[in-house]
Amino acid sequence: MLTKLAGGRLYDPANGRDGAVGDLFVRDGRIVADPGPGAAPDEVHDLSGRVVMAGAIDIHSHIAGGKVNIARLLMAEEHRAAAITTEEPCGCGVGLATPSTHATGCRYAQMGYTAAFEPAMLPSNARHAHLEMADIPLIDTGGYLVLGNDDLLLELLASGAGEEAVADYVGFMLNATRSLAVKAVNPGGINAFKYNQRRLDVDEAGPFHAITPRRILTALAGAVQRLGIPHPLHLHGFNLGVPGNVEATLDSIAAVDGLRLHLTHVQFHAYGVEGDRKFSSAAARVAEAVNRQPNISVDVGQIMFGQTVTASADTMAQMNNAGLAHPKKWVMMDIECDAGCGVVPFRYRDKAFVNALQWAIGLELFLLIEDPWRIFLTTDHPNGAPFTSYPELIRLLMDRDHRLTRMAELHPALPEHTILGSLTREYSLGEIATMTRAAPARILGLTDRGHLGPGAVADITVYTDRPDRRAMFEKPDLVFKDGRLIVRDGVVVAFLQGRTHVVEPAYDPTIESWMARRFDERMGQRLTHFRIAEEEIRGGNGLVRHACQPGSF
Amino acid sequence: MASDRPTHLIRPVVHRDVVCPFCGLGCDDLTVEEEPPATLAVRSTDCPVARERFSRTPSAEPPRVAGVAVPLAEAVEAAAAVLAAAQAPLVAGLGTDVDGARAALSLAERLGAVVDHALSDGLYRNLAVLQRTGWIATTLAELRNRCDLLLVAGPDPAALHPRLFERWVAPAPAFQTPPSREVVFLCGEPLDATRTALSGIPVTVLPGDPAKIGDAAAALAAALADPSRALGAAGIAPGDIAALAERLRKARYAVVAWAASAFDEPHADLTVERLVRLVRDANRHTRCAGLPLAGHDNVVGVNQVCTWRFGVPLRTSLAGGMPLHDPHRFAWARYADVADAVVWVSTFRPEVPAFSAGQTVIALAPSGTAMAEEPAVFIPVGTPGIDHPAHVFRSDTVVALRARRLIDRGLPDVATVLKAIAAALPQEAPTC
Ligand code: SF4
Repeated sequence: MLTKLAGGRLYDPANGRDGAVGDLFVRDGRIVADPGPGAAPDEVHDLSGRVVMAGAIDIHSHIAGGKVNIARLLMAEEHRAAAITTEEPCGCGVGLATPSTHATGCRYAQMGYTAAFEPAMLPSNARHAHLEMADIPLIDTGGYLVLGNDDLLLELLASGAGEEAVADYVGFMLNATRSLAVKAVNPGGINAFKYNQRRLDVDEAGPFHAITPRRILTALAGAVQRLGIPHPLHLHGFNLGVPGNVEATLDSIAAVDGLRLHLTHVQFHAYGVEGDRKFSSAAARVAEAVNRQPNISVDVGQIMFGQTVTASADTMAQMNNAGLAHPKKWVMMDIECDAGCGVVPFRYRDKAFVNALQWAIGLELFLLIEDPWRIFLTTDHPNGAPFTSYPELIRLLMDRDHRLTRMAELHPALPEHTILGSLTREYSLGEIATMTRAAPARILGLTDRGHLGPGAVADITVYTDRPDRRAMFEKPDLVFKDGRLIVRDGVVVAFLQGRTHVVEPAYDPTIESWMARRFDERMGQRLTHFRIAEEEIRGGNGLVRHACQPGSF
Repeated sequence: MASDRPTHLIRPVVHRDVVCPFCGLGCDDLTVEEEPPATLAVRSTDCPVARERFSRTPSAEPPRVAGVAVPLAEAVEAAAAVLAAAQAPLVAGLGTDVDGARAALSLAERLGAVVDHALSDGLYRNLAVLQRTGWIATTLAELRNRCDLLLVAGPDPAALHPRLFERWVAPAPAFQTPPSREVVFLCGEPLDATRTALSGIPVTVLPGDPAKIGDAAAALAAALADPSRALGAAGIAPGDIAALAERLRKARYAVVAWAASAFDEPHADLTVERLVRLVRDANRHTRCAGLPLAGHDNVVGVNQVCTWRFGVPLRTSLAGGMPLHDPHRFAWARYADVADAVVWVSTFRPEVPAFSAGQTVIALAPSGTAMAEEPAVFIPVGTPGIDHPAHVFRSDTVVALRARRLIDRGLPDVATVLKAIAAALPQEAPTC
């Protein structure tokens, strides 16, 4: 079947199109070249005047896995209040900050997103995360594997293993758990917390394995490069939420010494200690470092006001925040000599100085970091805010007047602590398309996604160009997934299953005998059972492999 | 590891490294022998649960409608006809794997039914506390490799989870220096098998009133905060409480474990809450974590699926086309009183409860299940991890296991049957 999307304004940065009017042709789920005047499309959508982009891709959103289910349980009040009734062809579900799998898929699709990636998949919980992701309808998914607090890796490092052995370990783990990238969460810190350390400095040896966070960080960044994994090490840095943590953030950038590094939810890591409240924005310093160093990319982790829940593997940080829980209940878990999980409900208040400044810091980062290919739109869902707040966030980036109006409503002391009022930049549609489509696909190595060129998967979103950018991005006119129309005017009209994206880097399998022994002795699980078979992923359908290029980065 | 299926040798076939799906401890080291025509015998462990469950493999029998043997398709039609007419259906039991749970929940959504697991009582004593206050918890590998003080609250959990001590407590902690461990039983006596498994490890038993475990936990918490305030509780002397509090305070990584389904006092969730508070208080001084044990018949896994599918846990009604969670109203044993049709799924054990007269029961259970009363429809199904590959969750909620197929008796899996029943329901007119 041939479908023609005629005469839309194409925002397709990967192919150099910035609003040029053109036709798109879709056959068998992919975009194809113009088949010429002889071809008779089976279906034509007249898109004249409309804005056309690839389906949006969220590179950092906690959508599946054990911590999300704990968060759902903790958010019982919200879930009671926010129920979705069954509507053909839709099923039912509940939740805003931690929606059910059903609601997650629907809400993303309704906003024009066709992929979202779970950025904190613990090795021991990977099978669960995959089972859960398979139940998220409509969008593609995948997981980043959390390493860097796993006792086996720390043991390996402590034994003096070389880069090659570390890369083999990482390569095995990525394959075994069907992951797309490597994530490090407060490397060393979660492990130290299990020995009752509530803080660990970057150059402080950890309590049992006597390895410093810096060593773990550089070992993992090096392994990612060596294996040729497209996505750089995805780092949840040190001292999350702690005033003054900008030093550790800049230090992390320095530590990898030119290797590629992705700093995630960097808003939470861009705090200084200036001013009478000993809490200040260090966004300018972070932005300056990012602008200067092309090996660094970031996502923001913008906070938006209201009730949400924070869910993180970083038990060390979460334990420190537990006193701020709203409502007053929280869960910490130590997990499988692997990592941990901390779930703390939280309400960001616009009249609270700290929250208002966090909001401003996020926006400062967005506006000060120049290259939209290296900064990504996230709220660290649900930590900074539910992902459903993206349309409002896009409006804040594209509309300075709206930004200033909103700022005036916040805590009165805010203006003297932020340069936000003086920043005149307004994102263009092309920059939004870069930040939410082309760049995420590129940084994850998804070569046939995030663009509208021939060969790309036909994940396409069509908008009416409205001056109110929130209204525009909240409710696209049409959303196509794999060439099928799934959303029309904000309503889900067809159901289909997404895919699971993975990498399968090559590694030396001799590491497996060491690991098999360790699994028997320590984990009480056979290595062969730890490994997730292909047939377990979406019932054997829907695995998408992305190429690794050792030595090319 | 693949099963050795020699073609030219005399059987038995030996299955090694078998994953056991039954009690939630996740043992994956079983050797199971298969004797013709399809009987299984566990050879590698004395675990009574595994021995009993694996060995129960009667040959396949046909489905029945009103007691009469029929082909599967007919049974499916009959079940669909019953359910299409039901006003207040209940989809429960739910002793099944992840795929079975998915299919059961989809069917329940379609019917507007109430969903619950047969064994959710114990789970709910824990979940009630998790939802009210949260907790600090841990998992089995942390227990094995880091715990230097294990405090077992209440009856010995090995009665329900037989290899707990052998696999997760007897090995010395790998990630503590020096590796040391001791076990304290509070208001409960270790079973003989537990004593044997723990030989060589210091064991202290503080016998006390099992109905007052919560009081003992509260007394411990008070003594932790202020040793001079140590009081006796549950029949345990103040000196013993003070000594244990001191030991907790000095522990490097203490674990407090309990099996809530073994608590039989009323309002057992309050006992759990006091244990959870004790754990939280201990973290002011050291590291300490709770280990709430539950998980027979994949209750933990089914609850996970329900929570991610609908955003709320089991004991949920889908009438009205949206999930409404109420752990009191929608507990299956209570809702069964008003349900007019029951789909009961029990793949791990050959048991179906007796339902009141006037209820139409559709039972999906293993061959050879004895029933108090012949159900309207009985469909024999395979057991996950015996007749078909399956995902089940470990007790600690983190690790999902993949159990494989051992034998083929030609029994369908629950997911296939439930999907067929859903497909046989009258099609609804689309609303949009
Ligand atoms: S302890 Fe539990 S998981 Fe282990 S063999 Fe026995 S029944 Fe199976």
